[in-house]
Amino acid sequence: MKASKLLAALTALLLVLAACTTGGEDTTTTTAAGGTETTEGGEEPTTTAAGGEETTTTAAETEEPAGESLLETVRARGSLLCGVNDVLPGFGVVNEDGTYSGFDVDLCRAVAAGVLGDSEAVEYVPLVADARFTALQSGEIDVLIRNTTWTSTRDGQEGATFLFTTFYDGQGMMVPASTGFTTLEELADANICVLSGTTTELNLTAVFGARGIAFNPQVFPDNEQLRPAYEAGQCEAWTSDASQLGAWKATIEGEGGEEQLIMEEIFSKEPLGPAVRDGDSAWAQAVEWSIMATVQAWEFGLDSTNVGSYAGDDPNILNFVGADGFDPGLGLDPEFAITIIESVGNYQEMYERNLGPIALVIEGSLNDLWTNGGLMYVPPYR
Amino acid sequence: MTVATPPPPSTGLSGAAWIRAKLFPNIWSGILTVVLVPILLYLVYRTALFVFVNADWEAVERNLTLFMQGTFPRDQQWRLVAQIFLFALALGVGAGTASATARDRALQAGLAYRPRTLGSVLRRFWSLIAFVLILLYFASTVTPWLVVLGAVALAIIGLQSYRLPTSFRLYGWLLMALLLVAGFQVVSGTTGRAWLVMAMVVGVGAWSLTESSRIAPGWGTWALKTVAVVVSTIVVFLVYSVVTVPGVGWDKWSGLHLTLWVSALAIVLSFPIGLFLALARRSTLPALRWLATTYIELIRGVPLISLLFLGQYVLGFMLPAGTTLSSISRAIAAMTLFTAAYVAEIVRGGLQSLPVGQIEAGQALGLSTPSVMRLIVLPQALRAVIPAMVGQFISLFKDSSLLSIIAILEFLGVRSLIHAQPDFRVTAHAETLVFVAVGYWAFAYAMSRESQRLEGRLRVGYG
Amino acid sequence: MTSPPPPASRVPPWRNIRFLRILGQVLAVVLAFLVLRWLAGNLTGNLDRLNMGLDFGFLSRPTQFQIPYRPSFDPRSPVTSMVLVGVLNTFLAGFFGILIALALGLVVGVSRLSANWLVAKLATVYVEFFRNIPPLVIIIFFAAALFTYGPFPNLREAILVGLPGSDSKLLILSNDQWGIPGFTGGRNWVAFAVILGVGFVLAVVVWAWRTSVNDRTGKPHHRLAWFLGVLTGIAIIGYLALGGPFSMSWPAQSENRRLIVGGFAMNWGFMSLTAALGLYTASHVGEIVRGSILAVPRGQNEASSALALSGFQRYRFVVLPQALRIAIPPIINQCLNLVKNTSLGTAVAYAEITALTQTSIGNGRPALQSIVVMMVVYLAFSLTISLLLNVVNRRLQLVTR
Repeated sequence: MKASKLLAALTALLLVLAACTTGGEDTTTTTAAGGTETTEGGEEPTTTAAGGEETTTTAAETEEPAGESLLETVRARGSLLCGVNDVLPGFGVVNEDGTYSGFDVDLCRAVAAGVLGDSEAVEYVPLVADARFTALQSGEIDVLIRNTTWTSTRDGQEGATFLFTTFYDGQGMMVPASTGFTTLEELADANICVLSGTTTELNLTAVFGARGIAFNPQVFPDNEQLRPAYEAGQCEAWTSDASQLGAWKATIEGEGGEEQLIMEEIFSKEPLGPAVRDGDSAWAQAVEWSIMATVQAWEFGLDSTNVGSYAGDDPNILNFVGADGFDPGLGLDPEFAITIIESVGNYQEMYERNLGPIALVIEGSLNDLWTNGGLMYVPPYR
Repeated sequence: MTVATPPPPSTGLSGAAWIRAKLFPNIWSGILTVVLVPILLYLVYRTALFVFVNADWEAVERNLTLFMQGTFPRDQQWRLVAQIFLFALALGVGAGTASATARDRALQAGLAYRPRTLGSVLRRFWSLIAFVLILLYFASTVTPWLVVLGAVALAIIGLQSYRLPTSFRLYGWLLMALLLVAGFQVVSGTTGRAWLVMAMVVGVGAWSLTESSRIAPGWGTWALKTVAVVVSTIVVFLVYSVVTVPGVGWDKWSGLHLTLWVSALAIVLSFPIGLFLALARRSTLPALRWLATTYIELIRGVPLISLLFLGQYVLGFMLPAGTTLSSISRAIAAMTLFTAAYVAEIVRGGLQSLPVGQIEAGQALGLSTPSVMRLIVLPQALRAVIPAMVGQFISLFKDSSLLSIIAILEFLGVRSLIHAQPDFRVTAHAETLVFVAVGYWAFAYAMSRESQRLEGRLRVGYG
Repeated sequence: MTSPPPPASRVPPWRNIRFLRILGQVLAVVLAFLVLRWLAGNLTGNLDRLNMGLDFGFLSRPTQFQIPYRPSFDPRSPVTSMVLVGVLNTFLAGFFGILIALALGLVVGVSRLSANWLVAKLATVYVEFFRNIPPLVIIIFFAAALFTYGPFPNLREAILVGLPGSDSKLLILSNDQWGIPGFTGGRNWVAFAVILGVGFVLAVVVWAWRTSVNDRTGKPHHRLAWFLGVLTGIAIIGYLALGGPFSMSWPAQSENRRLIVGGFAMNWGFMSLTAALGLYTASHVGEIVRGSILAVPRGQNEASSALALSGFQRYRFVVLPQALRIAIPPIINQCLNLVKNTSLGTAVAYAEITALTQTSIGNGRPALQSIVVMMVVYLAFSLTISLLLNVVNRRLQLVTR
């Protein structure tokens, strides 16, 4: 009896000691992260004229304390885990034979081509909007290329770092043309279809709240459930990024549905771009420059047919295609641009291949080259 | 065991007398019948109209492969076919061995044995057969027909184990276990830790089959059995290090294939945990009991979807930085932990239903507590809970539809892929939903009938 | 002469039961503790690396999104208000679902044992059909068949079922919301609620009094009649005294025909969820009712016949009381399952707590904390229902002599 009591007391003491030592554990990362506020911001959107400072991720103080960058991990694994959409026409869909296609999907392939040298070494991880960031945070995906809007809250609170904006969009409102609505005020008290977990939901609340218009959101987890509700009239309006609305308008009208009207008013900025996890600048740079290579090639007039056979002597282009083994130290193969453009095409080719069929035109839009008045402006490759 | 009993005497009613007695026994019943019959006929008419005339089953027909195997790589489809064949063979062997065991017991007890007929089997599984026929109707190539015929042929071949003499009974069960593991690994591959699973099965077989009590009695028996297990493990390891066939891990499974496997894996993996929890909850050690009770009550008080959310959103953080689990692994982990609590309650019920006298008799015979558990309590208790476990499996099978909410493409979730295709964006929502409902119903109904049958058979003896 | 006590036997530790027990407990606790600590360590480490916290501060920050079908909810109110709305919605769906399930389940269970072959077969088909289909499929089917692809028009052109002889509408039917008549509280409705409460207590006292009268004198107690009489009487007196504290309110379309004002408005998500879960759970309840009626010993039926009780009397006085005693624990279990199944509201855009949690996680709230809050809500529901089960069980247990 006495022995067992003694044993119990001893164990209790042991447990208390063990509990006390928990507080001191895992301090390495805590102090590091708490100290410096991560200022990774990738590229600033180049709306500011030419003054856009290069804040390429230099916050090296806060990366992984031990362990390698995701760049090495991905190379060791031999395939890229890319978070995509599987039900959004034009950006990410699954075809009948099980393969993926779309604008974001092509960007995944570009990253794979740049980092791994093989554009088909991609494992696509389809994600619903709600699960995007947790998948990125927990390491389930290496990069998130899923029509995701860059916002301050997402940069700060979601443990994500946004990279080069690949698609400038804005939020719009679509109604059946027969209703004749043209302003948001006419939608007071109406049911408005919106996807769960997107910036559209918060924007909608903010904009309508600011104007004092009451509304009733109908929140759906994916478009497959949203669209039938919209077409059945359970919602009077559908709000989403204008590009998505354009895609759906073309799809609905093309499949014999009612004529749709997208309201003129665009009531938010929606810069869509890829996102990677906080704290890994080598990986962020590799992904970003792989993607920017597609825009750079477009600017140079290089596309999938002629990138491998450039015979001029513009030094910028020569550097770009890796002639003389030019390597700026990004951890990428010198000829990564050729690999990317040959397998996936340049930005314009990707855009027209995927978004052309859903009636999105690159000329005159925000996504045109800066030389044509658009916002596509990449830092020089030198 | 099936004992030959004379069929019950017929009630002797037929035709008009039957209608009178069964449909119009009294005035209220009569009114009810008169009201219900036209409504019923109308409903049947509308349903038949929908199914055979109005519905456009093209969505199901063109996407049958998506329904069955989802986004499983099409060039690896042979693995699924091989899995079906191996499972059919295993099923045949298992059924044959079970029937042979039943026959042996009947003969031993001196009772007549009425073997199962083909008709009775077909009647028992008519819903599954009907579903397979519907699938074959929708199939556009000849492959599904060949697969079904091949599976049936292999099952019949496996049934021949019925003819094996009694001494081969154990080999029959061992063969079935091996075929099941092989069926799993023909899809998931033989790399990594696959050898461990096979080694466990082979080890159990080696242990049971080593009849060494005559050669070396006492301690020698154990030593010889251990040697047999070690040798078999080494052999399996060597075989697997030579035959490394990479497979398609369960991260890539989807469709009906995934639904079935997620349920099976969850219930198989949860069983040891559930058993441990049940024993812990009944133990006299307060700490163990408190831990087990807290876990069980916590898990049973929350819906499965919350555990799936935890798995999707939080589990990734609980692992060391850099390790990742695929979405499906996390879902299986969540479902396993969920089922373990329910299995624990089922097993606890089984343990409680055992008369205390059994344990006392064991103790009177001088058996130690672990021996009492192993030889007396667990065999009886686990046999008693089999119907409830089948019920839990059915429940799990239906709950696997929740995976569609976290965007895993199992049988119900595949619909979102189908309706994202340009051709079926607006149409065929009803048809695909009805097809999915019929699929779930066919399996669940067959399993619940089996569970009821098992319950009836296992009841004999407990009064 | 007292003999000396027997010498204490020295049992080695590895056979000393007490020691082994303590050791086992210690090992179990330490093991559980270490596993939890490893998980927690990983969790905090990973979260810190991403600069995300483990605190519950997000509960006091504004929600920032609007909740469907609750126009009175202000998006600037804190997350705790959102949680309360979710709890309310879950409660509503669960409450009405349970009502449907119990009523329908009782009917189905008794029907399965009917002498009428058609009725029995229909009930069997109903049970076997609904029991073997996942509830999610049923919910999606209802939502699609009744509302999205169903026969009802949009709310702006809703079907209005009028009340004969007046302008008010009895029902408003659309594929988005349905309007049914309801009550609105006028002045003094709080006082009326208090009076009703007092009346209920009084009626319970009267019930107990009549039971004791019956025990003492053997006169029939008629306690149900007394109970209802007292309650109704007090309610009427209160109603008249307070001058109409509440009145019927009829549903009507708003000015812009997008809202239903007056009456009760039920949205399509609520209706699909409740109806589907009611039907699904009713099949289980039906099975339980049937099993419990069959579990009543045969002799009771024969004894009732010997006492010349009619079929109805047999059910009411002999079979059902005994059957209910057996049936109530599993039925309450099914009620618990129904409340947990309301978590499928995310599939029909119904804003119960799971859907709201999913939305808020998608909008950047911390995942683990939100899910913990959601689990606490469901645990609270489960606990309440289990407590109810225990109370009812204890009341119903046969006092064995």
